[in-house]
Amino acid sequence: MSEFIRETELSQEALLEASMVERPEKNEPLGPLFWICVGWLALNIIGAIFANVLPVQSPLNQDYNFVNSAPSLHHIFGTDDLGRDIFARVVYGSRVSIAVGVGAMVIGFGIGAPLGMLAAYRRGRFDTFVTTVMYVLLAFPAIIAVIAVLSFWTPRSMLKIILVIGFASVPLVYRVIRTATLAIATKDYVIAAKVQGATDRRILMKELLPNIAPIGISFLLIGIATVVTLEGALAFLGLSVNPPTPSWGNMINESRTVLAENPWLVLFPSLALCLFLLCLNFIGDRMRSHYDVTEVKL
Amino acid sequence: MLKYVIRRLVMLIGIIFVISVGSFYLIHLLPGDPAAVILGTGDSPSNRAKLYKLLGLNKSIFDQYFIWIRNIVRGNLGISFISQTSVASTIRAALPIDLEIMGLSQILAFALAIPLAMRSARKPDGLIDRLLGATSFTLLSIPPFIIIVLLVLFVSIKLGVPNIGVASYVSFGTNWIVNLESLALPAFTLAIGSFVVYYRVLRSDMIATLQEEFITMARSKGISQRRIMWRHAFRPSSVALLGAAGVNIGGLLAGGFVVQYLLAIPGLGYTLIAAINDSDYLLVQGIVLVVSVGVVLINFFFDFIINIVDPRISRE
Amino acid sequence: MSTNPDKLLVVNNLATTFNTSAGPLPAVGGVSFDLNKNETLGIVGESGSGKTVLARTVMGLQPRTNVTVTGSVLLNGHEMVGVSEDEKRKYWGTEVAMVFQDPMTSLNPVMRIGKQIDETLRVRLGMSKNDAKAKAIELLELVGIPSPSQRYSAFPGQLSGGMRQRVVIATALACSPKLLMADEPTTGLDVTIQAQILNLLEDLKEQFHMSVVLITHDLGVVATRTSRIIVMYAGRIVEMGTTREVFTNHRMPYTRALLESSPKVSNPSHTRLITIPGRPPNLLKLNQGCSFAPRCAYATDRCHQQRPELQIAEEPGHSFACWNPLPSKREAATR
Repeated sequence: MSEFIRETELSQEALLEASMVERPEKNEPLGPLFWICVGWLALNIIGAIFANVLPVQSPLNQDYNFVNSAPSLHHIFGTDDLGRDIFARVVYGSRVSIAVGVGAMVIGFGIGAPLGMLAAYRRGRFDTFVTTVMYVLLAFPAIIAVIAVLSFWTPRSMLKIILVIGFASVPLVYRVIRTATLAIATKDYVIAAKVQGATDRRILMKELLPNIAPIGISFLLIGIATVVTLEGALAFLGLSVNPPTPSWGNMINESRTVLAENPWLVLFPSLALCLFLLCLNFIGDRMRSHYDVTEVKL
Repeated sequence: MLKYVIRRLVMLIGIIFVISVGSFYLIHLLPGDPAAVILGTGDSPSNRAKLYKLLGLNKSIFDQYFIWIRNIVRGNLGISFISQTSVASTIRAALPIDLEIMGLSQILAFALAIPLAMRSARKPDGLIDRLLGATSFTLLSIPPFIIIVLLVLFVSIKLGVPNIGVASYVSFGTNWIVNLESLALPAFTLAIGSFVVYYRVLRSDMIATLQEEFITMARSKGISQRRIMWRHAFRPSSVALLGAAGVNIGGLLAGGFVVQYLLAIPGLGYTLIAAINDSDYLLVQGIVLVVSVGVVLINFFFDFIINIVDPRISRE
Repeated sequence: MSTNPDKLLVVNNLATTFNTSAGPLPAVGGVSFDLNKNETLGIVGESGSGKTVLARTVMGLQPRTNVTVTGSVLLNGHEMVGVSEDEKRKYWGTEVAMVFQDPMTSLNPVMRIGKQIDETLRVRLGMSKNDAKAKAIELLELVGIPSPSQRYSAFPGQLSGGMRQRVVIATALACSPKLLMADEPTTGLDVTIQAQILNLLEDLKEQFHMSVVLITHDLGVVATRTSRIIVMYAGRIVEMGTTREVFTNHRMPYTRALLESSPKVSNPSHTRLITIPGRPPNLLKLNQGCSFAPRCAYATDRCHQQRPELQIAEEPGHSFACWNPLPSKREAATR
């Protein structure tokens, strides 16, 4: 995750002197690249959801005229060794990646975020207890847990994958959200609101949530990217969805043996995966530096 | 300082306990009769009897846990009924490979990240800085398994170097040249990911440190830029770097698995995956336990080191 | 400009501009003054007046990027503006040194204080490890640190604020510079400690035969310890002269406002504090006239339209920049 440092050129004393002066509020601009990435992601998502109705071939259909073929008019991305259209498989494969990525994060954030916010705001016994539990869980290497559970908990299904990764991500989400909330909750304006008699609920909604949202969203995006990568890795270990269901991960895995003969097989899903990840990371990162007036150390 | 160490040790013990329970319970996640699944093809009355004796499967679950713990403390992680070798010895053979890959990759990552990060911190937004920034960001988005696939393609096919790493691993003692050759690819692949993290963390931390007043004061004493970078700026920044290293290395142990598997390098990762595929569940369980404890120990070790470097933390 | 050997420092039309994303920020605009040997000069101004930037620029310590410096600074005859960092570094520590405002941030928190003093001695003077250590302990004693040989291995965090500042001073003096720039050396310290540190600086100045530039916003500090004063506002000098003259016969209304706004212990209780109305100007959008005009009770039309240049008052060495100055007390006296 990058840290864009603004105005490194100004020495501190000049900043102090200049800060006594009115300066125009300028957030780090989002930039055109940001919106291009958003567009690409939107395209992917639309493709995933509406794959059935789009002019895309069936990913399972085996076209014996075109086995292991290079990109052509019939098959834009070429075909694999069973004659299946790679383009179709890439599009359908995005379903798995996106479903797993989003699904797992929904669980992780759905559980971890409210807990984290509540714990940071309420403090006290609740906070101490939950935080200790979470930190202990956090110390357990999540990837191993995921691999272990998925390999033992057969038969596999996409739902199970989403559940396992989702729950495994709860401690980390908890920690991030809690830290962020802590930083805000101790700010004077929150305490001021409290003193003025605002109810907890109101404070949560009006003071905390809007300030945590940017960090939360950017972490959410980066989290999705991590989960998608994880799904890819799991596919290589044979722990992802079963064939013939296409996923970017297992497409790459299945085709690496024939890399020399049919590089297209690896190229397109890899490209799809990497671009998806790149866009997610970029958007998450940009949002963070855009809204971060002071660096919140996570 | 002492209080801090004790507090952390207590946490460590707690965590290891949780790990042991978790690892223990894995067997019982399996559908059906655990014994049947463990024995698999080796299911026979005599093997069954042995298994029951070993794990106490006919007793209550609490008893089973204690038996298991007792065995482990004695160094007995069970016997793989599939391969007929003791789990402990399998792990013992595979572990050094992982350690070597990790070590090599980290050396490479640090050797590249530290000087480059310092260069970028000195001239932020300069040409090199921007180039490195874009490159590292892109690399971040390419998962290691893809890197491996592409590297294999490039190295073995385009450069004509015959299959690196595939069944060609020998231990360091036997032939260190071939040893390094065989581990070069996985080490390099893991190094890339680590490099990106270390470069970014160090760069941003050093930029922040360089803005501190004591750096200006050091300048005003007439100290050379080089000395300032290394002696004044690096030390406080290295804390952040160590922190990143701790987290990263912990994850490497686990993350390196895929890479190993792809290159058929018989480290723990490869062994684990093979065990999963072979339904060799006792072996899987043993590896999960060992690796988890290992990761936790590494994290603990790094926490400790960070504390020595920056005494301020323990005073909090 | 002649290189007069008595003049330690000759600053001529020095201007420092920061290139910010909001536009050019002229933190210091066209400042000229000089400094003799063994003299103490006070630079006074509010926050934002540019005094700190001035100090750093004079020394050459301004940041390397996005800063433009024009003009000339002759330190003992050596030009400091427009030269490379390596050039400037020759004089840092050995001819000119700086004491910074906040000793907590100006000392390296993870390095023992002894080492921080050692460093200058070994790197700049080439002393051996043992010699440097001995000298460092000597310096610590000189600045009034008790049990110096033990404190030598202490970390900055283990010392009190006053002690840390003493360490900073010791570090600055290690190579016996001829000029010491003290940038708000006591602002962050307790009032009781302030006097101690200032006295220390005076003593050391005598001992080391140095000139001192004392930068502060506190008039009380400069009143008795400086021979000359410069008053700065919005990056420029608005009044300059001997301390006595500036205090008793100031001409620029800002100087008067500054003097009047410091609370006096001798006033009866509940005396309302006099404040200067308005706020310091936005350096990004300076008007063409006098920068103080918007807040000045005596401002005329000309003040708003044309920036006044420094003009000499009756006493040589006393100058001020104002179109509508306060009447000179001298004139009144001689009438």
